[in-house]
Amino acid sequence: MSERAAEVTAQPTPRTRRRPARSIRLIAGVLAATLFILPLLWMVVASLRPLGLPMPLRIQWWPDPATLSNYRAIFHVVPMARYAANSVIVIVTVIPLTLLTTSLAGFAMAQVPARMRDLLVATLVAALMVPLMAVWLTRFMVYKWLGVLDTLGVLIVPGLMGSSPLYVLIMFWAFRRAPIGSFEAARLDGASAPRIWWSIGLPQVRPALMAVTVLSFERHWGNFLDPLLYINNPRWYTLPVALQGLQQLHPSDWPLMMAGAVVVTLPAVVVFIVAQRYFLREYDEGNPFQ
Amino acid sequence: MMLSPVLLGLTLLIIVPALMTIPLAFTRYDALSSPEWLGLGNFREMLHDGMFFNGLRASLVYVLLAVPIRLLGALLLALLLHRPGRGRTFIRGAIYLPTVVPDIAYALLWLYIFNPLFSPLNVFLPLFGGRGSTPAGWLLNGTSAQVAIAIVLFWTLGEGFVLLMATLQDIPRAMLESAAIDGASRWQVLTRITLPMLAPMLLLIIFRDTIRSFQANFVATVILTNGGPYYATSYLPFWIWQNAIDYQRFGYAAAMTLVLFAVTVVAIALQFVVVRRWRTGYFE
Repeated sequence: MSERAAEVTAQPTPRTRRRPARSIRLIAGVLAATLFILPLLWMVVASLRPLGLPMPLRIQWWPDPATLSNYRAIFHVVPMARYAANSVIVIVTVIPLTLLTTSLAGFAMAQVPARMRDLLVATLVAALMVPLMAVWLTRFMVYKWLGVLDTLGVLIVPGLMGSSPLYVLIMFWAFRRAPIGSFEAARLDGASAPRIWWSIGLPQVRPALMAVTVLSFERHWGNFLDPLLYINNPRWYTLPVALQGLQQLHPSDWPLMMAGAVVVTLPAVVVFIVAQRYFLREYDEGNPFQ
Repeated sequence: MMLSPVLLGLTLLIIVPALMTIPLAFTRYDALSSPEWLGLGNFREMLHDGMFFNGLRASLVYVLLAVPIRLLGALLLALLLHRPGRGRTFIRGAIYLPTVVPDIAYALLWLYIFNPLFSPLNVFLPLFGGRGSTPAGWLLNGTSAQVAIAIVLFWTLGEGFVLLMATLQDIPRAMLESAAIDGASRWQVLTRITLPMLAPMLLLIIFRDTIRSFQANFVATVILTNGGPYYATSYLPFWIWQNAIDYQRFGYAAAMTLVLFAVTVVAIALQFVVVRRWRTGYFE
């Protein structure tokens, strides 16, 4: 209130007005950041506590003694290594597949006649709105028919549609921003469509490729429901399922569970931090809802 | 040609399964014998299924609770942090971080935070005088368990936050400054300029969040409460899941899925009508 009064009467220059506001913003921002990181910090701290220790009576920001033994133990309690291998197999196949299908489709959509393009955008947006619930039962039958049920295939096949309609749209928006004249020129020079896509199209949409890589990594790496629903054979379990196994086997060994949670979370966080720039910027440019 | 993989994938994984749900809803199907036509039987059964209404009510309460607090949180954080400044990259990244944590790890983390014995929140017990309902016991009571699930999912508001921040950065700075020079208070600038310009994005976030919220709490529910205590968190998706997976009643599950879908559509339509009225009233 006092600030408002001051503005009306004195009309101070923007600089003097903003200085205290700026540090208030910084303090509030740091507080918010702390609030959002705190749960993750607790996860790490808990994972370093030796098993079987009684609960701490005071705030313990660092366990004493700290140990990494839980990280070794989880690999013995459940076949964590095999599950990790399965997760990696899924990631290294589904992400290239996603990049391929989304970029091909986005490239094509940027060049088809306007009416067809609008129809495709409408279809993708509608597909985005279909709740997962409406398809999870019946996908079971589709997977069975495709013969991928109970294999890693159920986690890879979604790459065919670009993992999510949103990623196809992101690619489309990126290609639409690229100068279409360069594609036309190459076509007049006799280059084939796949060649134009590869050597002229793709280099122009690197940020979008990066964004789709990160988004689809987070989606597939953390995918818990699909393996839970469509994979019965423990041979093909992935890391998120391993975590649930850990919880069921040792429901009160929090340090073990938290160590498992850290192992599953770490790659997702590292990828996010490395790619944060592209990731956040792409949201900025390719407004997903326009 | 270049579109064919995506179109094939969309057809196989979204269009066909979504359409298949419709006829399935009118049958009895256990995935072993072939489906048996029931007509409206499944829907008639639903009318007498207390668990169905319990789940529907819990889901609606959850959406009414989670969507507004997530939106408000994302909006406040975006307003606070959209301008460039010291430490912004770190702060924005930190706020987004819980959103990238895999669902299951995230749920286990909160199970740890809410567990009565080893909860890191227990150190705050003396602040409450050691009495009353402490966070660590929240999962043991129906109402507080519902609140707890909503709190857990509040932390994953990263997407709305980033989208709102991007929209705020697109608002021409000169517009805000000239309003301030004309003597508009900060509150007036916010309500007369910033919020109306944000309105389309706010609306889209509300729509998207509503659709997702009906199912977003599924993993958290399975891990944190398993539908309890006393079915307080047996949200509709959870009950559908139990019918399909545990009871092998795919037809009934499909029928409930259709109802859930219809409820979602009605919720979106209602929001649309309300917002349209608000906007037209606003510009008059």
